[in-house]
Amino acid sequence: MSALTFTLKKDLLQKLDVSPLTPDQLSDKNISQISATLLWYGKQQLRADDIFLIEGSDTQDLVFEKCSAKVDYIGSGMKTGRIIVNGNAGAFLAFQMQKGELLLNGNAADFTACAMSGGLLQINGNVGDYLGAALVGDRKGMKGGTVIVKGDAGERTGDQMRRGLILIEGNVGSYCGSRMLAGTIGILGNVGEYVGYGMRRGTLILTKRPSLHATIQDCGLHTLPFLNLMFKSFSQLPSKFAQINQNRAHRFAGDIANDGKGEILILE
Amino acid sequence: MIIKLSGGKVYDPANQIDGKVLDIFIRDGRIVNRPRDDETIDQTYNLNGKVVMAGAIDMHTHIGGGKVNIARMMLPEDHRADPSHHSALCRSGCGHAAPSTFTTGYRYAEMGYTAAFEPALSPVNARQSHLEMGDTPIIDKGGYAMIGSDDFFLRMLAAKKDQNAINDYVAWIMHASQAIGIKVVNPGGINAFKFNQRALDLDEQNAHYQVTPREVLKALSRAVHELGVPHPLHVHGNNLGVPGNMETTLKTMGASEGYPLHLTHIQFHSYGTEGDRKFSSGAAAIAEALNKNKNISADVGQILFNQTVTASGDNMRQFANSTLGSPRKSVIMDIECDSGCGVVPFKYKDQNFVNALQWAIGLEIFLLSDDPWRIFLTTDHPNGAPFTSYPHLIKLLMDKTFRNEMFAKLNLDAQAMSTLRSIEREYSLYEIAIMTRAGAAKLVGLHDRGHLGVGAGADITVYTDHADREKMFSKPDYVFKDGELVVKDGQVVKVTWGHTHTVKPDYDKAIEKDIKQYFDKFHTMNMENFKVSNDEIAEGGRGGVVVQPCEGRREKSL
Repeated sequence: MSALTFTLKKDLLQKLDVSPLTPDQLSDKNISQISATLLWYGKQQLRADDIFLIEGSDTQDLVFEKCSAKVDYIGSGMKTGRIIVNGNAGAFLAFQMQKGELLLNGNAADFTACAMSGGLLQINGNVGDYLGAALVGDRKGMKGGTVIVKGDAGERTGDQMRRGLILIEGNVGSYCGSRMLAGTIGILGNVGEYVGYGMRRGTLILTKRPSLHATIQDCGLHTLPFLNLMFKSFSQLPSKFAQINQNRAHRFAGDIANDGKGEILILE
Repeated sequence: MIIKLSGGKVYDPANQIDGKVLDIFIRDGRIVNRPRDDETIDQTYNLNGKVVMAGAIDMHTHIGGGKVNIARMMLPEDHRADPSHHSALCRSGCGHAAPSTFTTGYRYAEMGYTAAFEPALSPVNARQSHLEMGDTPIIDKGGYAMIGSDDFFLRMLAAKKDQNAINDYVAWIMHASQAIGIKVVNPGGINAFKFNQRALDLDEQNAHYQVTPREVLKALSRAVHELGVPHPLHVHGNNLGVPGNMETTLKTMGASEGYPLHLTHIQFHSYGTEGDRKFSSGAAAIAEALNKNKNISADVGQILFNQTVTASGDNMRQFANSTLGSPRKSVIMDIECDSGCGVVPFKYKDQNFVNALQWAIGLEIFLLSDDPWRIFLTTDHPNGAPFTSYPHLIKLLMDKTFRNEMFAKLNLDAQAMSTLRSIEREYSLYEIAIMTRAGAAKLVGLHDRGHLGVGAGADITVYTDHADREKMFSKPDYVFKDGELVVKDGQVVKVTWGHTHTVKPDYDKAIEKDIKQYFDKFHTMNMENFKVSNDEIAEGGRGGVVVQPCEGRREKSL
């Protein structure tokens, strides 16, 4: 069986919501039902086959070809299977994703992995702001799962993050880990200002010392055996973090303006 | 244009009509006498076998004002989970516990309600409340101005000002805030909270002003009565939700010294301290006192199990309850140094001992109170449950078998603490019509609503007499608002705009001199800007102000 492939027929003028196109929602549908799925395009609803050329049959293995930044909610609430996206993705990629795998070969817009609770999301490109954040108005962001970003991430990465793992190989904008509740974010590149702003708990792992604001406190150099265990657990992940194994880190605690139980570990 | 409603079974307690088959005639939005033979009837609705009542009136429901908006902002999950899409007629909206204004109006009308009253209209926030109610279509509305913890009033009381001056201030507030009643929330307690008091009993002094809730109640109930305002002082008592608060409630009934009082959401004030968990039902004693004291009326504030949000001016009690919130978040705030506000989301669960007993206590009060003219059907929307659960509540009252089935599902410890199963009473359609129409209109002071006599506004609801009362009351066949068909088969077919009901008692305008001085010295706004004018409410063609008559100023105090 070949992967069920959705190839974008032409450039989109409006935002397209593809939240009905996930392996679990399509699993018991035949090709004509899939073609007839209604998708919101701006303020109108269109059939899926008006927008996409649909080929293949394996509903557990979806592919979006020639995808663009106008395509929102890819893999929304995904519970099974795999989605591969070739091209860019719009906002809310892997929104409330629960299980399965999602691979993006391109860049993603804002609110990627918003309220995600499980599964593996790999982005071979950059992502916008609010990676792993909460849905607007909610108090908890990403609640589980793993996000791997090969490129850069925008501002407010991990805002109100509650659990799970985000590993970024590139640079990250300001307010990284803001209002973070728990979970782990690792960054190999540079980090912008106000890292850990309002952070309550959780762990940020950095390789370079960023400028830290006044309510992040220096706790000195430590040998932390848990780091060996953690890096060992990364060894199978498709990320440069898999090659790291080190237990010596410079520890900062904060944000002491908000409980201060979070930590920023800088591998030196 | 004459409309004839032909052959329906009419329940109109205000005119002592109990299920008689009658024709009703409507002309120009009013109910009229049978026309002469030479007049043509333009439209006839054949209502054979249908039940006809006046449009229902919800006399206590939080549908406008700052706290409702805070509840809306605080609960994006409530809005996401319950969207209502726009149609050719209706606007879109959302929200189960705290619906948006338009959705509120449609949902009330679709349930056969044609009027709803916001009970906690903070005078300093009156404009906001009226603007929100101005966005609530179809139904009539109005508000009770919330005072009793405002500094101007407490200063007057502390200075032992003459009752006539207090009456003038109360009347001025009613004019300025376009209210139809006066409400007091945790008398003096909202203010005491600001002086770090975390509880205030009926005879306990406010630490700053040295006045007690009893004095507040007495002064205000007397003022409302002497001004001739039909709606008695609307009291949300002290110690809401505290086990043992039934004692406070019983004392509160005597605090007005014979002046009429309306005790609102009395279920939350009827708790004893018996049993292993020191939480028990005080319903029997409360209902007995209610039966005995004819100057007291009450609405129940029934809780029903599900997610909702509690929104109240009682920041003292809401602060105490804020840790019990689910989802766990809350807003407790002061409003312009003049009143307070507390919003805490709540999920009532039938397997929770306290919640299950609260449910039973509410129903016990309903069923043990003899006089349906003095007890009213509310859930204190959204505090006990959203107003959309009224049909379910009516079924609980009218169907003993159903009630006992539901009771059998409750937390077992709570079942053991309640006498509900032994109560045989079932409400009749006539009694439901009293509670939700005739009685409510009389209590609020709506002289031309809540009945089907000649001259009344043609707010009429037509139901199919279904054995399942929940089905019957959730989907009326027809709803007429001021003579226009607005709902058919439980769906809005026309969107109209209701009136804002007010009273405007006479008073001595000289009081404005003192009030202006106070505003200039302390307030965040100019006194003239504080007043909401009739034009502001009528703006945009969305209804207007209706001034219901006051019986005139009663005998002046010496």
